[in-house]
Amino acid sequence: MLELRLVQGSLLKKVLESIKDLVNDANFDCSATGFSLQAMDSSHVALVALLLRAEGFEHYRCDRNISMGMNLNNMSKMLKCAGNDDIITIKADDGSDTVTFMFESPTQDKISDFEMKLMDIDSEHLGIPDAEYHAIVRMPSVEFARICKDLSSIGDTVVISVTKEGVKFSTRGDIGSANIVCRQNTTVDKPEEATVIEMNEPVSLTFALRYMNSFTKATPLSNTVTISLSSDLPVVVEYKIAEMGYVRFYLAPKIEEDEDDTKPQA
Amino acid sequence: MANEEDHRNYQSHKTTCPSSKAVPSASASASASIPLQQDSMGIKGLTKLLADNAPKGMKEQKFEAYFGRKIAIDASMSIYQFLIVVGRSGTEMLTNEAGEVTSHLQGMFNRTIRLLEAGIKPVYVFDGKPPDLKKQELAKRYSKRADATEDLADAIEVGNKDDIEKFSKRTVKVTKQHNDDCKRLLRLMGVPVIEAPSEAEAQCAALCKLGKVYAVASEDMDSLTFGSPRFLRHLMDPSSRKIPVMEFEVAKILEELNLTMDQFIDLCILSGCDYCDNIRGIGGLTALKLIRQHGSIESILENINKERYQIPDDWPYKEARQLFKEPLVCTDEEQLDIKWTTPDEEGLLTFLVNENGFNSERVTKAVEKIKAAKNKSSQGRMESFFKPVTNPSVSIKRKETSEKPTKQAITKKSKFGGSKRK
Repeated sequence: MLELRLVQGSLLKKVLESIKDLVNDANFDCSATGFSLQAMDSSHVALVALLLRAEGFEHYRCDRNISMGMNLNNMSKMLKCAGNDDIITIKADDGSDTVTFMFESPTQDKISDFEMKLMDIDSEHLGIPDAEYHAIVRMPSVEFARICKDLSSIGDTVVISVTKEGVKFSTRGDIGSANIVCRQNTTVDKPEEATVIEMNEPVSLTFALRYMNSFTKATPLSNTVTISLSSDLPVVVEYKIAEMGYVRFYLAPKIEEDEDDTKPQA
Repeated sequence: MANEEDHRNYQSHKTTCPSSKAVPSASASASASIPLQQDSMGIKGLTKLLADNAPKGMKEQKFEAYFGRKIAIDASMSIYQFLIVVGRSGTEMLTNEAGEVTSHLQGMFNRTIRLLEAGIKPVYVFDGKPPDLKKQELAKRYSKRADATEDLADAIEVGNKDDIEKFSKRTVKVTKQHNDDCKRLLRLMGVPVIEAPSEAEAQCAALCKLGKVYAVASEDMDSLTFGSPRFLRHLMDPSSRKIPVMEFEVAKILEELNLTMDQFIDLCILSGCDYCDNIRGIGGLTALKLIRQHGSIESILENINKERYQIPDDWPYKEARQLFKEPLVCTDEEQLDIKWTTPDEEGLLTFLVNENGFNSERVTKAVEKIKAAKNKSSQGRMESFFKPVTNPSVSIKRKETSEKPTKQAITKKSKFGGSKRK
């Protein structure tokens, strides 16, 4: 038996919108501590990790650890039927092959039940160790989305380098090149407008902009985004979800191939 | 996504017969018949046997999931398929101005580009000298081809179109020239080529065992018998067929069948392989039962009813086993130094356009695609950083029978009690 009541239902709607283009099908894992998901895109280049902690729900009941396989597009179709102010309750019975989404309008005058078929998804769960990152950049999420969008009109990849000067996003394409540097800036009116750069070591990595752009669909979830970089790890782009959890996107970097690789074989 | 690979023709269509048909219909009708001969190659009925008895050893995967993976491919089998499928209709083949067949080049070129575009790094392995034991099987195939050639002649005389189609397919033979053409093409494309000392399948399996490639892609189930840790079917099917890739994992198969690798090899020999006949009356399922019961072919031979099952007089199962267990393969690090390089554009144009009548504009475009794909292949995969772990959650759909009813009763109470928060 599973029953999760989320007063701020729009959060779940936004979460789905942020991941449904990256991942088609995924298992939602439910335990006593929270509601989570881990899934990779079809090429296994990017990974999404979602956590909504039990404390964030008005009512949270999960008797045992279970996972529910869902098609995210179908789930999104159903959640789109919920109003932005609706309370969303996720319900499932043991042994059932469906999950129910219940939407209650704030004034309780309308209650909708949407039942969705579950699916069996055979997916690998990856172990993500806690790591010390070489550099962590926190900046307004809108700013980051803008940078990714702008750069992708010029090139396919972005080089993100963090030095003591700041964080630099650069790209190169057929029509030319672009460099955007953001400096640390904490003298702002609101804390969420700050750009904070913590650097232990300079780092420079190359990523596919296509994926970065897809990650920025999570912008409505949070005013700020945190980008963690290490030279030997995938980048982590994290959007915190108001007091209750996060959506983290991991992206494997592009690897420079050896120079002797470029000559044709005899 | 890549266009239909086998249907795109990079050259003006010239045929050996003056009465040439329209190209699209020719290739379309042929592509429906790719599985020809596949069931009779390798181990008889093994796919079904595994699907029934070791379902966890095989899983469907999306083509895209092999992004960035190095994959070994048996080239000879591919060339054979191309000769049957690409641009052939009846006795007409795709040829260059000199009248030499170019279907294999067309097919190899398109398919390899499709793999490269998907970020897959293919390495093609060519057959060397066949082992002596296979000569019997090859002789059989040769005589079948000879029969088919005769039948084809008859069919042409009578003018039976279906028969012409049927028999001409069976007359297809891969020659040394075809192989050499493809090797040259692949090298120009910057794709590595390995020449196996003997069986290509065995060499592919060896590459996988050595960790040089992620998996072996083939339609020949022999790959499993050769012990390839990971084996993929349908990886190279045209995208239009929409068949998911089937991934086999030998370790899981053995675990589920509860057999050792040696016993699995015996099972394959009993089911029927390329190297020797099987015992009449023993198919895959019986073979599995017998192996589970007796453990090895030797022990089975001691125990089964010889009246009921006739053991062939000359039955070289030991030699066949030897070939599967210790095939002649190259494990020399230097020779197996596999590298993917930038395509040789000029070389490709000379070879394909000047020598084989391909359309130069299309070849140039294709080269651009290879270059773009090369850039793409530098993308890393998640699994190179994070390793799989077991997920503690159980699917809600699977009913847990072991759970005690008392425990449920307790949790039910809590619904009205402590579990409500805030």
